[in-house]
Amino acid sequence: MSALAISTAVSSGRIELANVRQRSLLLARWRMLWIVALFSMVAVIVVLRIGFVGLVKAAPVRQDLASALLPERGDIVDRNGQPLARAFPAYALWYNPAALGGDGPPLVRSPKDVAAALGRIFPNEDQARLTVRLAAGKPGYLRRRILPEDANRIHALGEPALEFPREIERFYPQGSMASHVLGYVGADGVGRVGMEQVFNRQLTDPSTRGQPAMLSLDTRVQGALEDELLRGMRESNAKGGAGIVLDVDTGEVVALASLPSFNPNLIDQIGAGNIFNRMTNQVYELGSTFKPITVAAALDAGTVTNLSRRYQAARPIAIGGFQIRDSHALGASLNVPESLIHSSNIVTAQIGDELGGARLNATMRALGMNERPSIELPAKGFPLWPKGEWSQITTMTVSYGHGIAVTPLHLASAYAALVNGGIWRPATLKRVQPGTYVPGRRVFKASTSARMRQLLRMIVSIGTGKNANAAGYRVGGKTGSAEKPGAGGYRRTSLVATFAAAFPMDRPRYVIIAMLDEPQGTAATSGQRTAAWNVAPVVGRVVPRIGPLLGIMPDDTRDVDISDLAPLVGRSGSE
Amino acid sequence: MNLTRDRLRSIGWAAVLLTCAALTLALTFRVNAVKSQVRLAERQIVALKQDKLLLETEFETRANQQQLRTLNEVEFGYQAPTAGQYMENERQLASLAKPRAANAPTPLRVASADPLSDDDGGLPAMVSPLTGQAMAAETGTEPRAKPVTAATLGDRLGRIERNATRTDVRAE
Repeated sequence: MSALAISTAVSSGRIELANVRQRSLLLARWRMLWIVALFSMVAVIVVLRIGFVGLVKAAPVRQDLASALLPERGDIVDRNGQPLARAFPAYALWYNPAALGGDGPPLVRSPKDVAAALGRIFPNEDQARLTVRLAAGKPGYLRRRILPEDANRIHALGEPALEFPREIERFYPQGSMASHVLGYVGADGVGRVGMEQVFNRQLTDPSTRGQPAMLSLDTRVQGALEDELLRGMRESNAKGGAGIVLDVDTGEVVALASLPSFNPNLIDQIGAGNIFNRMTNQVYELGSTFKPITVAAALDAGTVTNLSRRYQAARPIAIGGFQIRDSHALGASLNVPESLIHSSNIVTAQIGDELGGARLNATMRALGMNERPSIELPAKGFPLWPKGEWSQITTMTVSYGHGIAVTPLHLASAYAALVNGGIWRPATLKRVQPGTYVPGRRVFKASTSARMRQLLRMIVSIGTGKNANAAGYRVGGKTGSAEKPGAGGYRRTSLVATFAAAFPMDRPRYVIIAMLDEPQGTAATSGQRTAAWNVAPVVGRVVPRIGPLLGIMPDDTRDVDISDLAPLVGRSGSE
Repeated sequence: MNLTRDRLRSIGWAAVLLTCAALTLALTFRVNAVKSQVRLAERQIVALKQDKLLLETEFETRANQQQLRTLNEVEFGYQAPTAGQYMENERQLASLAKPRAANAPTPLRVASADPLSDDDGGLPAMVSPLTGQAMAAETGTEPRAKPVTAATLGDRLGRIERNATRTDVRAE
């Protein structure tokens, strides 16, 4: 029994051992199999993944070449393709306190040290203010625009919280030049003030912004005009100035300046005060520069048929409790050329009176003097225009440029019509392709225009505009020094000095207007405040600088023929 | 292994299919590789164009009208040219010439003699623009004489002509 039991026990133990071996072998094999399966699965997944990435998966987000090169906002260029405004990626300095993560301080070093380090890179930065901002731990711009080398130096500081994202910035390479024409782009990306506002849609639309918007301006002419105007302003201590160069045949504005200007790259408080455009937005009583328009209207209407007819110039005209007088005695009587050369209010008032209010009014309307100036710029001043039928006194004062206030741009367009054969055309800042016909409306007869060219040339060669007589350029024009209206009448001390000119007078191509607001008598202007002494020299200096650039060669051997009018003018006392 | 004909054929087809699939895969990889190269090149183009834009803008800013004016004032002092510096055409140039005054001496005119002048019927020899040497075969053996001016008249008169007949001396 027991032996049997033992034997069974032994035999059962052997069987058990064999079982254990077999089972552990099986287990090992299974484990091996699992591991192999696992590895092969990983391998399969890797291969599948490679295949998926290589074959199916979309490429990393990318722009195509054309859209990557499309500017964020289109460029603005001048008539020769010189960029005046462009969008380019610049660096900004952004403070991101969350860059380091965690609950620790946002900066590696103390805010004071970082502010000091930034102060070494940007010496004009207020370090105390910067320290406060860094310590406050609020995200924000520290500077809106930094140079690439400054970005590198900030990177070298090793502060992850100081980030310099690349941002598309609007940049004006010419600085404050032509700022009133260009305007600027606000922080919201919308153009303001000038052509940035006018062209806003074109400059932001992806289908059109690839092509730069071309202006009629010429950078070189604009530079010369601003330069000389600024000089004239400084020499006469004027409050401001304005100038324009206008193509008489197309109405293209080749240069337009309003001083003091602002820097569109940085609109600060001083700049914001200068955004006002004196050329297109401010209306002035432009005074004697209106006299040629009156004379032209009278010639056109046939009320002046004889230029040698003499008008009395000795007695002031008393009308409606008001006296029309000249600045100084000009003799007993003057004929029409003499009245323009000496700028006589008395004679011009008589010519205007003979012409009559209705006809003078019609001429002024035809020249667009009763509406805002026609130009693309958004800032356009509305003229102070005498309403209703013009009385005798209104007609007389308007005839010599008082009682009507227009922008200098109005005057430029009117002078273009005066000299180009009599066609008035709206001014434009968009470039007109050469050879394009620009429609206009006839205001003066061609014969009147030819006569006016002679008269305007005479004013510059022997009259009040002598200082504008640039040798060889056949400049013709008219001075105007009007007193500014103030409380209770005109203020004798504050003037608006204007010189309206065109050149070359034998075949006029450009009108140039320069204006100084409240010039003072200084040593540089021989102590005089009138246009002959401060603005006329400005035109006299601008014309030789811009003439060759505009394709007008100076030539002493040419001039408009004034031989038929020369005998009418006494050479004595022509100043 | 007993490979029947059918089995062999199907293995063959499978092999062809596998080869084609492998080739397609390789080609796809290659295409994608080229595509990413193009992308890289495009990215480089964009980066370079932006660099160019930046440099151009910097150049224009440094050379803007106000800077140029300041530079001119400080360094050069150039001024606008005057009427006297322009010449419109030849006629205007000719108008500058003065007619001879009443008792002025007649200007000296010298007979210009050229021993090897081109009135011997031959065309002027073609000269290489680089070396200055005559390229044609029928070149003259003697160097051409300089045109006689008032300054070199003495040399000219002191020289004994090779050919005695002076037929080639022209009055003007």
